[in-house]
Amino acid sequence: MDLFTLSFLIVTTILAAFSFVKNKDKTIDAMKKSRGMMGSMLSQIIAIIMLIGLVLTIIPPELIKTTLGNANENSAVIIAALVGSVTLIPAFVAFPLIGSLVNVGASIVPAVAFLTTLTMVGIVTFPLEKSTFGTKFAISRNILSFFLAVGIALTMGVIL
Amino acid sequence: MMNATSIIKRNKLLSFVILVYISLLIVRPDIATTALGNSGYYFKEMIMVLPVIFLLTVVIEAWIPKEVIMKGIGKKSGFKGYLLTLALGSVSAGPIYAAFPIAKALLKKGASISNVVIILSAWAVVKVPMLANEVKFLGMEFMVTRWILTVLAIFVMAFVIGKFIKEGELSTDESKAFKIVSEACIGCHICVKAIPELFEMKGTKAVTIASDKLHSYHDRLLHVTEKCPSKAIVYEQ
Repeated sequence: MDLFTLSFLIVTTILAAFSFVKNKDKTIDAMKKSRGMMGSMLSQIIAIIMLIGLVLTIIPPELIKTTLGNANENSAVIIAALVGSVTLIPAFVAFPLIGSLVNVGASIVPAVAFLTTLTMVGIVTFPLEKSTFGTKFAISRNILSFFLAVGIALTMGVIL
Repeated sequence: MMNATSIIKRNKLLSFVILVYISLLIVRPDIATTALGNSGYYFKEMIMVLPVIFLLTVVIEAWIPKEVIMKGIGKKSGFKGYLLTLALGSVSAGPIYAAFPIAKALLKKGASISNVVIILSAWAVVKVPMLANEVKFLGMEFMVTRWILTVLAIFVMAFVIGKFIKEGELSTDESKAFKIVSEACIGCHICVKAIPELFEMKGTKAVTIASDKLHSYHDRLLHVTEKCPSKAIVYEQ
């Protein structure tokens, strides 16, 4: 467990314990509500995780690297943004991957597009987002994020 | 059998994914096992993160008054609210799906749509350990530039979505929040007896009666949802 998550676990446990001591009924009631909300999400979260595994197998990081390295710049931006949208690879894999690409002279525009859609656009998490916040919200957030990510990438290409 | 169909209906996505895995196991077992192995890391992550998220939603639910949330990150909170939610989302742990329960809890307490967008986006993009990692592999200049542009983009997106989506459109459609899966109902009358104001029999199946006072039946509804022998009642707040 990384330090960040661990410190969060400690802080929230203390808060919840304090809450329990201060008002038992209120806390139990809140626990029931949270359990209801998260219980309905749990099966979708498990599904998402199994989907991530599948996507990682079909589109492994090495394939992403060779594709981005070989494509011409214009199509690479779009491909990078699309691949970033469907995959969910951990940051500690993504940064070295992109770093090694940029260090051998690849353009940073597709690299940024990939990094940004990777975190902001979630095709795999879309069903959960849709059932939590509604279809209109999920669609507009993901589409806007996609185009803004491409915009960020192009701007960075100009600045750096 | 009734029970099985209702379980599948309530877990559509998971059932679909399991079906995909089973077909892969038959056609390409190598892909299926690799994929499952690849999921392992994320399962571990989920098991570590979900308890934190659960406790956090409990604390928000029980102790943060609605007025405080409305004032801090509600509709009239303006740019200060943007900055506050940006900070909230940035000091977060875990993957983006972990942000959904938190954002939902805040939304119920009066956070504005724009601020929910910021929390979700900042949660995904602006994480302190991740930024350090980015500096290590891509350099400080790269990280800072991308960070500034991303924060600007998040604010623009929050503003646009806040204008584009009205408060009422956000909550998932009501019919989904409270209904009876009629294929699963075995017509036992338990719900009708428990809350006649909300349930009635239509032939051999129970049906729900529309009500705008669902929240006043909240506890009884939770109870009856658990009591239903075929778990045919869907009630999500």
